Amino acid sequence: MSSLYVQASETSERPSEANVLRPTVQDVVRPTDLSARIFALADYQRADFSVCLGCKICASVCTINDLGVAANPQDLLVRLFLGQSVHEDDVVVRNCMSCYRCTDACPWKIRIPEVVRAFREELAMASPFEKAFKGSINIWGRVYEPYVILRAIPFLLMQGYVKHLHKWVEYAGFHLPHKVKRGGS
Amino acid sequence: MDYGYYPGCSLTGSAKKLDKGVRAVFRKMGHTLKEIPDWNCCGAVEYGDRRELTGLSRENLKKAEGVCKEIVAPCPACYKNLKEADSDKAFTILNPLELLNKEMLTSVAAKRDLKGKVFTPYYGCVLLRPQETAIENKNVMEEVITYFGGEIEGEKIRDHYCGGGQIFVNKWSTEKLSRLIAEKSRGTFVVFCPLCQMALKTFSTGRKVIYLTDLLLYVMGENNIL
Repeated sequence: MSSLYVQASETSERPSEANVLRPTVQDVVRPTDLSARIFALADYQRADFSVCLGCKICASVCTINDLGVAANPQDLLVRLFLGQSVHEDDVVVRNCMSCYRCTDACPWKIRIPEVVRAFREELAMASPFEKAFKGSINIWGRVYEPYVILRAIPFLLMQGYVKHLHKWVEYAGFHLPHKVKRGGS
Repeated sequence: MDYGYYPGCSLTGSAKKLDKGVRAVFRKMGHTLKEIPDWNCCGAVEYGDRRELTGLSRENLKKAEGVCKEIVAPCPACYKNLKEADSDKAFTILNPLELLNKEMLTSVAAKRDLKGKVFTPYYGCVLLRPQETAIENKNVMEEVITYFGGEIEGEKIRDHYCGGGQIFVNKWSTEKLSRLIAEKSRGTFVVFCPLCQMALKTFSTGRKVIYLTDLLLYVMGENNIL
């Protein structure tokens, strides 16, 4: 699988356009199946997106623009509505940070970050850290940070997190995990 | 007054400082926090299946039945998820910021003020958005700071996003966004989100980042806080 997100670089340089937008044909998913699954995951109906007027206010406020990468969340909604293919290298799918600026600005308050998270789930785009996060919930019912960090160590080392460790001393501490009884709903 | 308390996972680990601060401020104000028994993780923003995510917080609300009617959730992600899960409004879900009204501030036995100190209040994303789960008073931190004589300088950065939610996913984005916020602001950052605290502390070189609870405890006379 190709790299899922804008690649972190040790020098903090902006990723090249090619890195951000490069599509790979083998990852394209059958459109109609994908659309139906995304609607179900995000708890939307296809008709809910018919109200989008194409005002692109979501694009004008999107935080991804602050990274120097042009983003248009509305394009994602239109493709989903029309049942067209959406690729994991789509700028919004890869880089959305769930800040909800788009939702706040949208005349219809469409929860675009949740649509993006549905795409990521369906396209199996979880990062090692996110997999460890969910893994901890599956085991204990809570996020046990020592487990998450240990499981994500190869990723954290490769992405250069070690240089920040001295700033994270205040977060260090140890407690045993608490296993929660689940299934109460 | 007695409140139910949902600390959430980060407040038992990396954001222990916020947990201690919330408990201390509530104790000093004469309120009691009763932890929801055997609470589970709310899922934060890590789930693509909205029903699965909401289900996690529904479990917590079920565990709170008979324990409390008002639940205090300091972590913004936990607060949002609990509010969304409580669709029939069986509970009142509160972020501690929502209890900081003028009446509460006037009742604080202040032993210090904040005169001559410069701050940047920073809310992050989910305390302010989306509207249906946002806190009502979106100027509460500014009001607390100025009430005790503190100054607020720099550009308005309330709509900017620090990228804290991506700090362990896409560090490059968090670094760039946090630095943008640092460049446009002045003084000590005052936050209420564990992820904002971590992102700004990691990437806003040399700037102090504190929780609002630290500020209140300082005003109340606690030492070694700021």
